[in-house]
Amino acid sequence: MTFAAKTRTLLTALALTALGTQMALADKISILTETPAPAAEAPADAVIVNIAKMKYETPEVTIKPGQTVTWINTEAMPHNVAFKAGVVGDAKMDGAMMKKDQSYSITFNEAGTYAYHCTPHPFMKAKVIVE
Amino acid sequence: MRASFVGAGLTCSLLALSAAWAQTPTPAEGQPPAAEAPAATTPAADAAPAATGAAPADASATSAAPAGGQTHGQRAAAEAAAALAAGEDDEPVILDAPAPNSRRVYVNDSAHFASLTQQFAIDTEEGRVIGMTDSGFLPNPVVSDDGSVYAQVSTTYSRISRGEREDYVEVFDPVTFNPVADITIPPEGHRFLVGTYPWMSALTPDNKTLLYYQFSPAPAVGVVDLEGKAFRRMLEVPDCYHIFPTAADNFFMHCRDGSLARVQFDAASDAEPQVTHSEVFHPEDEYVVNHPAYSQKSGRLVWPTYEGKIYQFDLSSGEAKALNTIEGLTEEERADNWRPGGWQLVAYHRPSNRIYMLVDQRAEWTHKTPSRHVVVINADTGERIARHELGHGIDSVAVSQDDDPLLYGLSTGAKTLYIYDAETGEELRSVNQLGHGPTVISLSDMG
Repeated sequence: MTFAAKTRTLLTALALTALGTQMALADKISILTETPAPAAEAPADAVIVNIAKMKYETPEVTIKPGQTVTWINTEAMPHNVAFKAGVVGDAKMDGAMMKKDQSYSITFNEAGTYAYHCTPHPFMKAKVIVE
Repeated sequence: MRASFVGAGLTCSLLALSAAWAQTPTPAEGQPPAAEAPAATTPAADAAPAATGAAPADASATSAAPAGGQTHGQRAAAEAAAALAAGEDDEPVILDAPAPNSRRVYVNDSAHFASLTQQFAIDTEEGRVIGMTDSGFLPNPVVSDDGSVYAQVSTTYSRISRGEREDYVEVFDPVTFNPVADITIPPEGHRFLVGTYPWMSALTPDNKTLLYYQFSPAPAVGVVDLEGKAFRRMLEVPDCYHIFPTAADNFFMHCRDGSLARVQFDAASDAEPQVTHSEVFHPEDEYVVNHPAYSQKSGRLVWPTYEGKIYQFDLSSGEAKALNTIEGLTEEERADNWRPGGWQLVAYHRPSNRIYMLVDQRAEWTHKTPSRHVVVINADTGERIARHELGHGIDSVAVSQDDDPLLYGLSTGAKTLYIYDAETGEELRSVNQLGHGPTVISLSDMG
């Protein structure tokens, strides 16, 4: 199966389940804005993780509690940041899709290891370590 | 047991109604009409509704082809008229389907992503519908090679297409079509909702376990214990797709990096599955289709590319042994824009070791449009045996696994299953009105 065809199919499939997604926010994290912001508006002190070529460019970042990570999508393919159930709350959390040059910021309040992935591209995986 | 015209017409049995649909008649040959009756002058064979309400004299009969140019509906009407004239009482019954055989197929109508769907069980020797099952959103049908297990992995919602989602596995008795198991899949095991790929769900060879794919939030395979009628667990797997079981605890997948993954698992424990990868077998710009053919009985995996190259593996040993890669189209054909296309576009006939692949002249990136031809290829040598013109735009192809096989061509647009002699390509009969957009043919390899 081609990557492109697979992606289209998977996006379709995910769109069908999107209505069931629950945006459960927990105290472990705070989301700056529910909708993506322009990349230029990323917080000055945020740790930046760029997204390019179907990858999170920094697959592992280590921060302190209270620090913010900002993801910036640098390509036309939309991407997001999503956590499985039990990582940042009881329910799963699918962040909004970022288009090119959009950003999405999360402040991590508690120590721990937060594995995440891209919802329509589950092979895109990375983690934030808070210690 | 006889179910006469009026009585069976009054029953609510879908079996009775569907079995009575008129089908394209077999050319006149064989036995004489069952009875003299005015029904011989009933409307043309393709006027299906004309026969609605008429029932077969005995739907469990597996006798010879329709007689003397009559449609099933005409014959049933004649028999019913004769029974009425003879003063026989009508005794409505719920009919059983005949026992599964190598010429039964199940046609899955995913109905263009409709919330509710149907599967049609068809006796292709007779060219008639012998049963139906209902299902939810994008179900995955599975059928065992011995015909004993017919199941589907399905999804429903509490308000048709919204509300609470429930995934489940339903197993049916293949004669009565009553459900014999209904196994709930918990939310963490919710399955991949996708246009029906037959090998996104599969039975292990012992028919005791059903495996299904989960795409999100991460690649995984669900394990359902059919024998114990219980969901067991999810297996975390690499970034791989499709499921080709080779043993009760072993299956293969195709991975994004172009390799095959072998997955060994223990359904009863929480142990992580053991995963090993084959060599990368195709380059990144060679696109393999979503509908490979897999013979569980022989372990042969047949996987075409968009351009008609066919990769093959022998998985029977539990290791992925690459077989010779062949070209399904000649150099001249490829230069003349011949490419495979359709939905279930390749079939493998185990007894003769032949590959059937839907092909047509088409532009690149039209690989999901129907094809009007099927090429027949020696799987070992790649030798072209035949190219049959099918006479219709065909989306899915399958072949019965007996020694004198039937070739099946399913048209999603015409909602019709065309039944051919696999050797000559001659169209023998057809079954129409198969839902809204049928796409997948499933059958048993009973040999």
